[in-house]
Amino acid sequence: MNRTKREINYGMFILPALIFYVLFCVSPFATMFYYSVTDYSVMKQTNLSFVGLRNYVDIPENDLLLSGIKNSLVYALLMTIFQSVLGILLAVALDKKLKTKNILRSIYFLPAVFSPLIIGFLWNYLMSTSDFGLINQGLTSIGLSKINFLGDSDLALYSVIFTQLWQWTGWAMVIFLANLQSISKDYYEAAEIDGATGAQKFWRITLPLLQPSVNVVTVTAMIGGLKVFDIIMSLTNGGPGNATETIMTAFIKTTFSQGFYGYGAAFGVVFFVAVMLLTMILMQFLRKWGEKIA
Amino acid sequence: MKRFKVLGIMFLVLGLLTTACGKSNNGNTGSASPIASPSASESATPAEKVKLRLAYWNKESSVQTLLDLIKQKLPNIEIEYQFIENSQFDNIVGTQLAAGSGPDIISVGPQAAAKYSQLGYLADLSSFADRFNDAGKSVYSADGKLVALPGISWFEGIFYNKEIFAKYGLKPPTTFEEELQLHEILKKNGVKPQAMGAKSYEPMMKSSMGLIMNEFLSKPENKDFDVKYGKGETTLEGSWNAGLEQWSELIKRGYLTKDMLGIDYDQALDEFATGKAAMWESGPWALDAIKQKNPNIQVDMFPFHGSTAGPGWLIGGPGVGFAANAKSEYQDAIMQVLDLISTPEGQKAFWQDNQGGSSYLKGAEFEMPAEYNGVKETFKAGNVYAPWNNWGGSVSAVIQDYGKALQELLGGKSDVSSVLKATDKQTERIVKMNQ
Repeated sequence: MNRTKREINYGMFILPALIFYVLFCVSPFATMFYYSVTDYSVMKQTNLSFVGLRNYVDIPENDLLLSGIKNSLVYALLMTIFQSVLGILLAVALDKKLKTKNILRSIYFLPAVFSPLIIGFLWNYLMSTSDFGLINQGLTSIGLSKINFLGDSDLALYSVIFTQLWQWTGWAMVIFLANLQSISKDYYEAAEIDGATGAQKFWRITLPLLQPSVNVVTVTAMIGGLKVFDIIMSLTNGGPGNATETIMTAFIKTTFSQGFYGYGAAFGVVFFVAVMLLTMILMQFLRKWGEKIA
Repeated sequence: MKRFKVLGIMFLVLGLLTTACGKSNNGNTGSASPIASPSASESATPAEKVKLRLAYWNKESSVQTLLDLIKQKLPNIEIEYQFIENSQFDNIVGTQLAAGSGPDIISVGPQAAAKYSQLGYLADLSSFADRFNDAGKSVYSADGKLVALPGISWFEGIFYNKEIFAKYGLKPPTTFEEELQLHEILKKNGVKPQAMGAKSYEPMMKSSMGLIMNEFLSKPENKDFDVKYGKGETTLEGSWNAGLEQWSELIKRGYLTKDMLGIDYDQALDEFATGKAAMWESGPWALDAIKQKNPNIQVDMFPFHGSTAGPGWLIGGPGVGFAANAKSEYQDAIMQVLDLISTPEGQKAFWQDNQGGSSYLKGAEFEMPAEYNGVKETFKAGNVYAPWNNWGGSVSAVIQDYGKALQELLGGKSDVSSVLKATDKQTERIVKMNQ
């Protein structure tokens, strides 16, 4: 009896959070599943009809969405890899006994403080091909030709990724640093006595023991990469052509600009499943890596 | 025990808040259709003020003179101005209308007007139709009825720097070939002929359509082309190829260059305003910014031209239409306001905050600023048109795809035929989904 009462008491504590979670997360999500099998659109907002899987079948016909999927995968993959690798290298470097380490850590972390919209505006001017573009001004002043960072469809996505690595590598570095500082120095001293080189210490001690933070950084980078939106809108708006359209920009344009809500909801469901699967694969890989270390 | 009392109070407050929200929502629904508000119910007596809600995507300052005139001429009507940001305007107003609680006077674009009319949200304004000319009425008519009053027009042509033109002895062109020639002269003299913010899909979309209006759409046999295109009964491929090939000479001859894909609207404006480029395609809304950056600049505008000399065409159309919510219980008051807008006095008040455009009201003519002397003949000929205004609903996706395909053409990744086919594919998809 006491146990039941205690369960109820604790249950009461989590009830407000549960209500908000159901209202603002579970409920809209379930509604999206429902809308994805209806003909809900800006032209038909009441008396919705069941259309089966029609909205899902139509997804591959939309070039915008297909470009968005392709670009998002490239973006997420490159961001995950480079953010982790560069973050680890920076963290290891700034974990050394440097006089300037605190200043350098602050400098590397600083871009993460700004909104992606501000970063977008800043890099838009820096990378512009107009006479006001700082980088291209520099290139032409030393006799090199201009680089069309954001206007060349073969380059634009990678230019966006570069700006985001510039912004978020410092954040990853902080996570890795926190993990690094928890690694006991005893391991390194023991390795030194055994005559291990710097590289051996990194591969055999540092990297395996960084596994928890690698999990955090890679999973957040992968999910964040797949749903990237704001930096694209502020830097390229998906262009030139569809060269930098991502899943989210394509989703917003299809759903809200064109007014096909049911179709957009179907794409949202597919996106959810895709993110879930990719995250599960990544988690599985990380788990196996963790087991191997253990 | 005390803790549970606190918890109990928290739930009570939460419950009250929820109830309050519910009540507030009911109130909102009522106030959105003003008759349901307390003041509205009292408005049955003529002496009481009627409160009408007017929603618009531009700031209140853009209609301030008109609002002042309404206040002065119609003292029994109070306008509650609701600014809704442009990118969310259709979503918010569309949802409000679906819920039966839309604004009393609705600002609409041509596509929204057609859509809302089809859904039965808009009142018939045909009683005002005789006062407006056909160019304005055609884009705001549905099923033979006028569904919104055409407001002051917007237009885009090509601004040019008069000093640079004078320096090289150039005159505004009268044909597209002359336009190409003056690009060449400027280029040879080391002057960037034209600034273009091609990072946006819009400028090339409009520039190319400017030529196509001269070469194809203005021909009598193509009068219904746009309407048919919007219904999926014809295609751009096979119709626009010659015009677009001709326009693409701007790319082939190196006047529009790949680096323009990395330049946005503001940067292109900077290039033109600071004299780094001799021409720039835009409209009256940019003039203030140009003059702020360079108060001494001398500019004029010329229209888009085709193969033969003539008044040319400007891209444009009625900027905003004012429609009446069919479900509002204040129809009389709404009609009084719309009646006032449909007078030369009302149009002048609206024009006052939107100078540069022209009125579609018969007999309402306003002095155009000197910066548009070069397009006076085009206006006289009534050659202001935006093809997509007649392409039906969800048109933004189509013109975006067309503009984006042109970006690929400029980037060397596509050709004229592919541009048109890509646009047709999007139109076909949208027509199919709308069915």
